[in-house]
Amino acid sequence: MRRLCALAVGAALAFALAAAPAGAQEGKKVFRIGWGQEPQTLNPFIDEDEEDFVVWSINWRLLADFSTKDLGPVPGIAQSWQVAPDKKTVTFKLFANQKWSDGQPITSADVKYSLETFAPNSLLFGSYVDAIASIDTPDPLTVVLHLKSPDARIVGGLFVYILPEHVWGKQSVKSLTGSYKPKMPLVGSGPYVVTQFQRGRIIRMERNPYYRGPKGRFDEVQLIKYGNADAVERALRLGEIDFDREVDPSAFARVGKQRNIKTIQAPSPSFTQLAFNLCNERNCPDAKFNPGVQDSVVRQAIAYAVDRNRINQIANRSTSFVGHGLLPQFYKSFYAKPADDYPYDVAKANQLLDAAGYARGGDGIRAKGDTKLSFDLAVRTESPFNIQAARLVAEMAKRIGVEFKVQIMSVDKLTEITTQKKRGKMAPDFDTFIWGWGGDPYDPSLLLNLLTTKAIGGSSDSFYSNPEYDRLYEEQASEFDPAKRKQLVSQMIAISQRDLPYLVLTVDPVLQAYRSDRLANVQRLCPAPNGDAICEQVTGAPFTTLSPPLAAAAAKDEGGGSPLVFVLIGIGVLIAAVLAFTLRRRRKSADEPVELEV
Amino acid sequence: MTFRWLAGKLAAALLTLVFVLIFNFFLFRVMGDPTTQLARLPRAAPEEIASLRHSYGLDKPLLGQFADYMGDTVTLDLGISQRTREPVWNEIAHALPWTLLLVGIGTVLSVLIGAWLGVIAATRRGTRSDSGLLGFSLFTYAAPEYWLGILLILVFAVAIPILPAGQQVTPGKEFDSWLAHAADVAEHLILPVATVTLMLLGQFFLIMRSSMVDVLTEDFITVKRATGLPWERVVRRHAVPNALLPLVTISAIQLGAVVGGLITIETIFSWPGLGELTYTAINDKDFPMLEGTFLVYSVGVIAANVLADCLYFGLDPRVQTA
Repeated sequence: MRRLCALAVGAALAFALAAAPAGAQEGKKVFRIGWGQEPQTLNPFIDEDEEDFVVWSINWRLLADFSTKDLGPVPGIAQSWQVAPDKKTVTFKLFANQKWSDGQPITSADVKYSLETFAPNSLLFGSYVDAIASIDTPDPLTVVLHLKSPDARIVGGLFVYILPEHVWGKQSVKSLTGSYKPKMPLVGSGPYVVTQFQRGRIIRMERNPYYRGPKGRFDEVQLIKYGNADAVERALRLGEIDFDREVDPSAFARVGKQRNIKTIQAPSPSFTQLAFNLCNERNCPDAKFNPGVQDSVVRQAIAYAVDRNRINQIANRSTSFVGHGLLPQFYKSFYAKPADDYPYDVAKANQLLDAAGYARGGDGIRAKGDTKLSFDLAVRTESPFNIQAARLVAEMAKRIGVEFKVQIMSVDKLTEITTQKKRGKMAPDFDTFIWGWGGDPYDPSLLLNLLTTKAIGGSSDSFYSNPEYDRLYEEQASEFDPAKRKQLVSQMIAISQRDLPYLVLTVDPVLQAYRSDRLANVQRLCPAPNGDAICEQVTGAPFTTLSPPLAAAAAKDEGGGSPLVFVLIGIGVLIAAVLAFTLRRRRKSADEPVELEV
Repeated sequence: MTFRWLAGKLAAALLTLVFVLIFNFFLFRVMGDPTTQLARLPRAAPEEIASLRHSYGLDKPLLGQFADYMGDTVTLDLGISQRTREPVWNEIAHALPWTLLLVGIGTVLSVLIGAWLGVIAATRRGTRSDSGLLGFSLFTYAAPEYWLGILLILVFAVAIPILPAGQQVTPGKEFDSWLAHAADVAEHLILPVATVTLMLLGQFFLIMRSSMVDVLTEDFITVKRATGLPWERVVRRHAVPNALLPLVTISAIQLGAVVGGLITIETIFSWPGLGELTYTAINDKDFPMLEGTFLVYSVGVIAANVLADCLYFGLDPRVQTA
C-alpha cells in the first residue's frame, strides 16, 4: 500500500512537471486580443458579422484605404487615381511589385475579379459597385472604372476588399455563396494574414512577409474567443490577453480603474435615434400612426424637451456621445455641429406647443382638436440601454404634456411594424421607436440615404420624403471635391434637423481596454486624435505601429512555474492521505470477528 | 416478460423523443427569423436577404419547414449551421467530448462525494457533523450554478490566482507533448469540474442521507448488529448497498438538470462544449444548431432514464415481479 501511495504522489508530480514547460512560444512576440463573439466563417461572400470585418480589415486592403488620421482615401492597392472631367471614368494605378502573402503578384485582374464577381454576389458589398457600368484592365497595373453616373463613393467609399483571384476564382460563385469555408492561410495583402481559425478558440494571424508598408512589431496577432464579455474582461485583468476590443458599457468605468489597464472611448459611425413615423398618404395609404407625430412643431418641442446628455449619463453610463444631428462626430471630413441642435430647454418646448395650439387636458396631456399628443414608443427587448433611454424620454416628455407609452417588443416585432406592407405599399404601424444605425468608415452616403425617398421600401424607417433633401443627396454623391461635398452634406443635415424624422439621441461608442504594461505605442486613430486604438473594421494599419514594451515583453516570456504544480501536488498528497487512512481502517477491521450468516 | 418490459420502455422513450422533436421545432421558431437583423444593415440589399432566407428554407410555410426538418432528422441529417456553415453533426461531434469530459468527471465526483458525505451524515444523525454537512449541501443545492462558478473564479483565479479562469487550454500555447497538453487541459478543468460537482453534490447528498436514515432503522440492521458485526461493516456491507438504489434513479434523472446548468457553466468558463454551442446558437437564432443540440440533450436524458429503469430492473427484484 505504501508503494501505491508513492505511485499516486509520483504520478501527480510527473503530470505537474509535464505542465511546467512554457511551451514553444518563447521569444515570440504575440499580441492577444480577446472577444466574446467570433467570425462566422471568414468567407466575405456570405458572412455579415462585425467580427468578420475586424479580421478582414487586417487581412485585406482596399483599392483606396482609409487614412488613420481622418479616414479619407489614401493609397491602398492603388497608388493613385484620376477622375475624368465628366466624373464618369476613374482610373486607378496600382503599385508595381505588390505581392499577396503567398508571393503571387497583385494585379488589375484581382481588382476586376473583386469588383465584378465578389462584390455583386456577396451579401454586404453589392451596393458599393452599383454605380460601376464596366471595368477595363488595359495592363496589370491599371484599372479603369466606367460609371453609370458620377459617384464620389468610388474614391474613398469603395468599401470592397480586393481578393486574390488566383485563390477565390478557383471556386464557383455557387459554392462561394453556399457553404464554402476559406482555406488557411487566408491569402491576403494586409499586415497580418490568418493562418489558423480554430472555431470557439482562436484565430491566429501571422505577419505578412510581402506587406507593402512598415512591418508589424508583433510576430503574431491572436484573437481569442471567450464565453462572454465578462470572461474577456477577466482575461484582461489576469493578463491572459493584451486587448479587449469591446468592453461592456456597464463595466467600462470599473475596468478603467484596474491596475495596468487603460481604457479608450471613441465615437463610432453608429447612432441611436428616436424615430418618428412620417409616412405620407401617397407612400403609405394604410399606415397607422397618431397624426400628432407628423406635426414638425411637436417633434421640435419633443427635441427641446429631451435632455440627450442625461440619456447618455443614465442609460449609457456616460459611455456614449451626445448626438448632434444625423452624422456622428466620427465623420471628421463631413461633420459640423448643426445650427438647430435642440439644446435642452423645457420652457421653449412648452412655448412651441402653446403657440401651435396644443392645450393641456385634465390629465396633463396636450391635445388639439382630436389629436392628443399620446404616442406609442416601441423599443427592443434585446437592448436594456434603449429601454432605459425610452423610459427617460417618456419621463422628460411628460413635462411638456406629451405622453409616450413605452412598448417593449422583440426585434422581430419591431422590424415587422416598421417594414410591413399592404396592397404592395409600405404600411408602418407605429408612432415612434428607438433603435440605431451604423455607417461606413468615411463616406456618409449610407447614413444620409436613410432619409431619402428612394430608401422607402428599403432601409428607410421614418419614411421621410423631401424632394430638396433627395436632390442634395444626389448632388453630394456625385461631388468628388470633399470641401464642396461637406457644404452639401451640411445643407442636408440642416433640413433633417428642421424636419426631424430622427432625433439622434446618442452616438454609439467604441469601448476598448488594453494592458498598458504589455502594449506600447498605442495611438488614438481613425480618426485621430480621438479614435480607437486598432482602427477596428477600418484598416489594419495600426497593427504595424503597436508594439510590446521591451521590459514587459521579456518579463512576459519568463513563464515561471505553473500553479498546476502546486495544485497537483496537493491532489497527490490528498490521494495518498485517503489511501493511507483506508489502509489503516482495513488493517483494523482485519482483527474484527467474522460475519455470521443470519 | 423481460423482453416485453424492455420493448414497452423503448416504445415510451421513442414516443417521448418524437414529442420533443416536434416541440423543439415550434419552440425555436418563436424566437423569430434569424435574418431579421440583416434588415438593419444598410449594406445588405433586400434581394440578398431574400436569397439568404431562401437558402435557409425560411421562405417556405411553417409546415413545409417542419416537414423538411422531420424528414432530415429521421435520416439523421441535422442540416448545416446557419452561422458556421458546418454540418451540425460535425459541430456537435467536436463539442460533445468536451462536455462529456466535464459532465463525466463532475458527475462521478459528485456521486462519490455526495454519497460518501450522505453516509457520514446519516450515521451521525443529530450531531454537529450532520448539521454542518446538511447546511453545506443545502447551500450548494440552492445556490445557482453560475453564481458558484463566478465565486470560484473570483477566489481561485482572481483573488488567489492559482487556476485559469476559463478556456480548455491556454490560448495560443503550443505543446511539446501530449502529456503537457493533457496537463494543461487538466488545469483548466479544475474550476468547471468543481462547479459541476458542487452543483450536483447537494442532491446526491440529501438523497443518500435520507435513504441511509431509512435503511439504518430497518429490522435487519438491528439483527446484523445483534450478531456482533462491527458497526462500520454493517454500514458498508448491508446499509449502503440498500440505500444506493434511489441514487441510481436520481443520477439518471439528474442529467436533465445537468444540461440546463451546463449552458451557463460552459459559458462562464468559456468551455467549448455543447452548452456554449447552444448559447451561441441561441444568440444567433441558429435553428439547425439549436435543434441539433436539443436533440442530443433529449436523447441523452431519455437514454439515461431508460438505463436507470434497466438498472433498477436488475437491482430491485420487486420491479421484476411487478
